[in-house]
Amino acid sequence: MILLAPAGSPRAVEAALEAGADAVYVGLQGWSRGGARGELGSEQLADAVRRAAGQGAEIQVALNTIPKPPERAALEAEIPRLVALGIRTLIVNDIGILVSLRRRFPQLSLTASVGCGAQTAADVAFFREIGADAVVLPGTVGPDQAAECTAAGGITVEVMLHMVEEFVLLGRCGMPSYVHLKPTAMPGALAAGMRQTGSMKRGGVGTCFRICQEPWELTDRHGHREQQFFPSRQLSRLGDVPAYLAAGVGALKLQGRSLPPESLRPLVARYRLALDEAGAGAPVPAWSELALPTSWTAVGR
Amino acid sequence: MPPLPSPLARFELNTSVSNLRHLRASDLGPYDAVYLGNIYCRRYEANFLERPDDVAEAIRVLQDQGKRAYLTTYAAPRDDGMPPIRRALETAASKGAAAVEVHSLGLVKLVRDEFPGLPIHVGNFANVYTDAGVEVLKGFGVARITPSYELPLDEVEAIARDGGIPVELVVHGKLPLGVSESCFLLDHETTWGLPCPDLCQGDVFLRKEDWSLKSVGKGILAGRDVSMIEHLPRLIAQGHRHFRIEAVSESPAYRHVVGATYREALARAVCGDPRPEPRWGEALSAQARLGFCNGFYFGRSGMDYAGAAIAGQAHPNPEWRER
Repeated sequence: MILLAPAGSPRAVEAALEAGADAVYVGLQGWSRGGARGELGSEQLADAVRRAAGQGAEIQVALNTIPKPPERAALEAEIPRLVALGIRTLIVNDIGILVSLRRRFPQLSLTASVGCGAQTAADVAFFREIGADAVVLPGTVGPDQAAECTAAGGITVEVMLHMVEEFVLLGRCGMPSYVHLKPTAMPGALAAGMRQTGSMKRGGVGTCFRICQEPWELTDRHGHREQQFFPSRQLSRLGDVPAYLAAGVGALKLQGRSLPPESLRPLVARYRLALDEAGAGAPVPAWSELALPTSWTAVGR
Repeated sequence: MPPLPSPLARFELNTSVSNLRHLRASDLGPYDAVYLGNIYCRRYEANFLERPDDVAEAIRVLQDQGKRAYLTTYAAPRDDGMPPIRRALETAASKGAAAVEVHSLGLVKLVRDEFPGLPIHVGNFANVYTDAGVEVLKGFGVARITPSYELPLDEVEAIARDGGIPVELVVHGKLPLGVSESCFLLDHETTWGLPCPDLCQGDVFLRKEDWSLKSVGKGILAGRDVSMIEHLPRLIAQGHRHFRIEAVSESPAYRHVVGATYREALARAVCGDPRPEPRWGEALSAQARLGFCNGFYFGRSGMDYAGAAIAGQAHPNPEWRER
């Protein structure tokens, strides 16, 4: 089982690697969901790959927007350059892109992002059939359910153990774009391409307008009236690491490409230690769960 | 000599119903097909998806009326919810349901593998955004696709043209915008004195300034009703044939009035008459709570409205606004 950490900047890559990540996932400028989640430019990515390789680790690239068809060709044109840099794993968010990349780049390992919405054994089997090498489940899927997902084999099951659980499930939220949809230029990727800011699936999650953090007025036909927030919580399953290990989960993934290095480093270090202890059959140390910054919400995720 | 088929026979107007009580209370005359089930919550009152006997009865009722019965399935199923889904699918397959709608990609594979005779409609929450995605699903034998509601009409048209699978569009009703694993309405069960499953049937709205959403417990819908009635001629010209009135959270009266209005509008549009009737807007306004929008069809935020015929009806129900 590997520990897969996030990074949104070269300093965060360095922090994650130093803290013991086996792999680090980063966004490629223009082709991930950007915003407060940092993205790496080409040279930064090349440096990150070199640094990771020096430690026997891997850099994975998240291409987790869903570009329009004309932009998809430009995205696919980026892939040979990524391969030349030494990238071996891409994380994607759309079944069409996944299958297209599978056909064109059979040497690549392809991961179905948590945004693909998989959370059942049947979902995992679907992604295995279309050629994914790995699929990410949210941390709301417990070890027993994860065991059902790994049972079929033939695909690596990753679980995002440390994440913000919003009220609306990942991959199934259209609230921000309902309120506001703002096409914006894609940084550094394609002059004519537009990132659909406000869409959780098509890019621009960095400006999702805080829909789920606003106080709303809740009313019903009976005259009830309440102030209502959409409930959310930080999910951290550090204590379940041994159970996920026993369930055959292939990667423990941490959410947080927007985290500053000083927050990311201790987070990764704790999961590193938990994973090592679990691998050795030792009990996981009884830490209090590592709280994320209070500002670290859907916008910054 | 048999009568020539009506030009309308090429089109389908369908709607959605959560349970047998609502089905029996609804005049479904305007519709060609009905989706059975509530996609959000297993605890929804007598949800078809938890009651195979009710599914069987509903299929019989619809078939007696000459309508197609479709089973829908949960927007975000979990493994512990798969046994009832399988039972509902078994009933649908054995009783002659015309198709099953799935929002989970795993269910696409499961239905293809275990219920090969049951045509598959892929719903909005499956997140089909591109022709490449449609191509993948075509390989699974999918018969119909509802593209992601976020797509503008030009991209929907491209999907319909290049994907090779018929497309279904919501033309009226509250767009589903999100699905959750928890229900915050349960927090109000005691203070409101309303138990589950009555809580989410109380026309629960969330409002902030001019933003509005509708809560159905584990589901979040648009607050305003999508209305494409004056744009039906364009949709037909683009080749679309399957139109949905999203009414799973609505009253039988809504289902009937909106369906009848669209039936008439569709008949007129099919005959090449693009003019909307003012009374259509009046009829739809009487059913809307917080006005109209076009969803994402015109490349704008989902709550905007483009058009003339009912644009002046943005907030048609003063009584509601005063609450």
